[in-house]
Amino acid sequence: MSERKFICVSCPLGCGLTVTLEDSGEVLKVDGNTCPRGESYARSEVKDPRRVFASTVRVKGGKLPVCPVRSRTPAPKGKLFGIAEAVAELEVNAPVKIGQVLIHNVCGTDVDIVASRDLAAV
Amino acid sequence: MNYDVVIIGAGIIGSGIARELSRYKIKIAVIDKASELPSGASRANSSMIHGGFDDKPGSVKARFCVPGNKLWHKLKDELDVHMNECGSYVCAFSDEEVKHLETLLEQGKANGCPGVEIISGGRLREKEPNASGEIIAALWSPEAGIINNFEAVHAFIESAQINGAELFLETLVTGLLFDDKGGIRGVTTNKGEFIAPVVINAGGVHSAEISSWAGDNSFRIIPTKGEYFLLDRTTQGFIHSFMFSCPSKAGKGITVAQTAEGNLLAGPTATEQEDPEDHATTPEGLAEVLKGARRLVPAFPVNLNITTFAGVRANIDTGDFTINALAKPRGFVNVAGIKSPGFTSAPAIAEYVADMVRHELGDRVKFAPNEKFIPERRNIPRFLYMDMVKRRELAQKNPAYAQIVCRCETVTEGQVIEAVRRGARTVSAVKMMTRAGTGRCQGGFCCPRVAEILSRELGIPLDEVTRHGGGSRLLAGRTKEFLLKKKREEAAK
Amino acid sequence: MSRDIDVLIIGAGPAGVAAGIGARREGAERVVVLERDWDLGGILQQCIHPGFGLRTFKEELTGPEYMHRFIQQAHDEGVEFRTNTMVFQIDKGTNTVWTMNKERGIEHMTPGAIVLTMGCRERPLGAIRIPGTRPAGIYTAGTAQRFVNMEGHMPGKRAVILGSGDIGLIMARRMIWEGAEIEGVYEVMSWPGGLRRNIAQCLDDYGIPFHLKTTVTKIHGRDRLEGVTVAQVDDHMTPIKGTERFVECDTLLLAIGLIPENELSRMAGVEIHPVTGGPVVNDLLQTSDPKIFAAGNVVIVYDLVDNVSDEGLIAGANAAKYAAGKIPADIRRIPVKGGENVRLFSPQYVTGQADTTIYMRVTHPVEQACRVFAEPDLYSQRLRYARPGEMNEVRIKAGQITPDIKEITIDIQPV
Repeated sequence: MSERKFICVSCPLGCGLTVTLEDSGEVLKVDGNTCPRGESYARSEVKDPRRVFASTVRVKGGKLPVCPVRSRTPAPKGKLFGIAEAVAELEVNAPVKIGQVLIHNVCGTDVDIVASRDLAAV
Repeated sequence: MNYDVVIIGAGIIGSGIARELSRYKIKIAVIDKASELPSGASRANSSMIHGGFDDKPGSVKARFCVPGNKLWHKLKDELDVHMNECGSYVCAFSDEEVKHLETLLEQGKANGCPGVEIISGGRLREKEPNASGEIIAALWSPEAGIINNFEAVHAFIESAQINGAELFLETLVTGLLFDDKGGIRGVTTNKGEFIAPVVINAGGVHSAEISSWAGDNSFRIIPTKGEYFLLDRTTQGFIHSFMFSCPSKAGKGITVAQTAEGNLLAGPTATEQEDPEDHATTPEGLAEVLKGARRLVPAFPVNLNITTFAGVRANIDTGDFTINALAKPRGFVNVAGIKSPGFTSAPAIAEYVADMVRHELGDRVKFAPNEKFIPERRNIPRFLYMDMVKRRELAQKNPAYAQIVCRCETVTEGQVIEAVRRGARTVSAVKMMTRAGTGRCQGGFCCPRVAEILSRELGIPLDEVTRHGGGSRLLAGRTKEFLLKKKREEAAK
Repeated sequence: MSRDIDVLIIGAGPAGVAAGIGARREGAERVVVLERDWDLGGILQQCIHPGFGLRTFKEELTGPEYMHRFIQQAHDEGVEFRTNTMVFQIDKGTNTVWTMNKERGIEHMTPGAIVLTMGCRERPLGAIRIPGTRPAGIYTAGTAQRFVNMEGHMPGKRAVILGSGDIGLIMARRMIWEGAEIEGVYEVMSWPGGLRRNIAQCLDDYGIPFHLKTTVTKIHGRDRLEGVTVAQVDDHMTPIKGTERFVECDTLLLAIGLIPENELSRMAGVEIHPVTGGPVVNDLLQTSDPKIFAAGNVVIVYDLVDNVSDEGLIAGANAAKYAAGKIPADIRRIPVKGGENVRLFSPQYVTGQADTTIYMRVTHPVEQACRVFAEPDLYSQRLRYARPGEMNEVRIKAGQITPDIKEITIDIQPV
């Protein structure tokens, strides 16, 4: 049996979570959470930690030279830098619509990179 | 390039002399190593226009201070410079210090400084309720004031430019040129030679070094750091004038003043140092200023501090201004060691130097009057101080005046563009010319906006915009560049 | 006198947009929000990271996404927006607002009620008086965020972050994702300024060292920043001799606190609270000038945008009521007092006209079970801890405000 500690990042409360693991790696119990989101965060953090990725992409002909983007869903933590590079390569044409998919299945993660604002063309 | 007169240094002295000499039909070059003006001692000082009681009668300083004061009261309108004509108090905390006030009063009378009188501590506090209750008497000098030193330097140099003088920034003097008769022939710089039969050394902290190139080692400059606090304009009215303490064992005489723009200023220290370009503030210096300020005004609201800064003054080992035309090499003029009251004296020194050069070096340059000399110069319009009618007119004429860039000091885009038109190339230059960035957020809001305007107006990429010239770039490149470069490097491996 | 505008709102950030919605829902005919930028949304447009609106929308949105939803609602409700329009003066007492716009020039308007929603700004370097030089490369975290997220430029390659406010933590991760280095985050206090989850997901995730009770004591470099000296501090926040260390960096980001932005409020002559730095308000979010309301970070700096939007809705609705003559001049003003461990709170007065949330921050952390409460016997809630970086709330129902209550005291104490 072993223990791992995390700060839950699911909401601004930031609960201190303690996860008790079997030697097999199975989660035995989660303590310290205020809500069910904490429990599922802890379980995911042990097996497959994920984060929402947020950055910008270069835009041609837009009101701004860059447009903010995000991963629509949390992406594998270990692939964030690969995703950052893939996003860095991209340049899109204005106008951009919020929610528009800019990279489908980024780095084979099954996660989409989408625009997070409307950006008009100049 | 051929000129009649080369002036080294575009501080308040060099630019003042340039303006006076532009009353003649001669070719003038003013050169300064900085990217923006003012840069040396004229940039970071108390901006005090002294009454003129502080200098020993008979000294060179005494000769120029009172006339300089009188000139500023006139020049502030002629050149459109903000000056707070507020008067000054020297405060005495003991009977011994009252005796010192009496000496100053006598000196003031001897120097022709008008209206000086000693008043009681009680009367002082009627005028300045925040003055310390421990002050027992004060010397009041009604003609003293405080000026916007950035505007003053720009006013002089722009006035000189209007009348034909040329300004060369980022031009560092590296040596002197001599003719075969032992006279001066010009200067060498990082940008080439400037040929002229008259060279005026107004090099501030570097003036002794420049003078030594001409063979005159008669004085030594002691770079002396002065540190300051500058408080938010919401402190306006906390005190109304310029308050000094008597020089004593307790301290070197920290002053507290309301600036021409309504900020509260406290300082300076006086720390001698080797490096003429070390402008760093220190914990000891700042502590000394705070202590000195609290002695004069115990409730000094330091929590409203917006910036601290230090200036390096060109103190001179002889203790007095050194102003002379050398016998050898002929054509070389020193205007050195212009420490306090240098800013006050500047216009009087400029008149004197122009006269001296005309009389003593008339054989080298023909000084015919410039009949087209225009004495007036207008400042960049100051939106903050205008009434609504003027504001509307201006905004109608030029929509850039209907766009605020700096919200703390209410500076419009029109003003920033005008500053660029008048020669601003850096964020700091814009700041000194328009006050964008001098307010309580210290450029947090306006810096990116000013940088964008500079980039647009100068036609340079945003990441080439600098804070104050040289290597002071604001930005390190575009987003994505670091990642892509890394990826390319890894791929190359 | 006829008037064109019922409710005029200054600033189209989260508070202002919500105030517009609140005013329209309350029945105000003409509701206008003025925005100095070309775009609506205020500072949230540069906060491109997720973490917004969990309470309001039950999902974590980025700043622009959060604002997108509110702006759409505001359009649907018939709120009018004027962009590129900056208010530069409010005449004391008269409610006259002066604006400038490149196309329309300088104009003035006198609405039925005003809502101040100008948000906040960051404390600059001068506020903490660090000795040394003044090179390029020193930015508040928010200014750096604008450069990176709106203009597509990097402030530097290797940064030190002073202060642990949330924007600093967010920018640490943001710059890492752009391939820059973050040497460390230094916080003078013995507790973090920002949220714990931001320490976890912005610093810990990337192995960025976080130093408590440590500060920057000197700045080096003439043109561009070359480094900083850092040192540990004692309990009086004085640097400890012998702990100084030179850290090479080309960028210093400051995340040393936010201050309500009250340039205009001062001009308008409303009373400013010396501790919050924002207008003194009652629970209707009415300032000392009954025609002027205020909401969001201009009043007190919140942790969560959800709170800012909630307060915007309230201020907008009450401004609409005022403009319609529905708020009497003689409403009650029951003062709220902060107890021993309360650093700041808002509102400062309760009227009993509506249910109320009083937002507060503790002075010192309480790292044990404690109770947040309002006396006399109006509210009590158990907490697992209370920290200065995390706001606490006291909720009072209108019906609880009986005629005998003369004063309300709020506090947080261990149990």
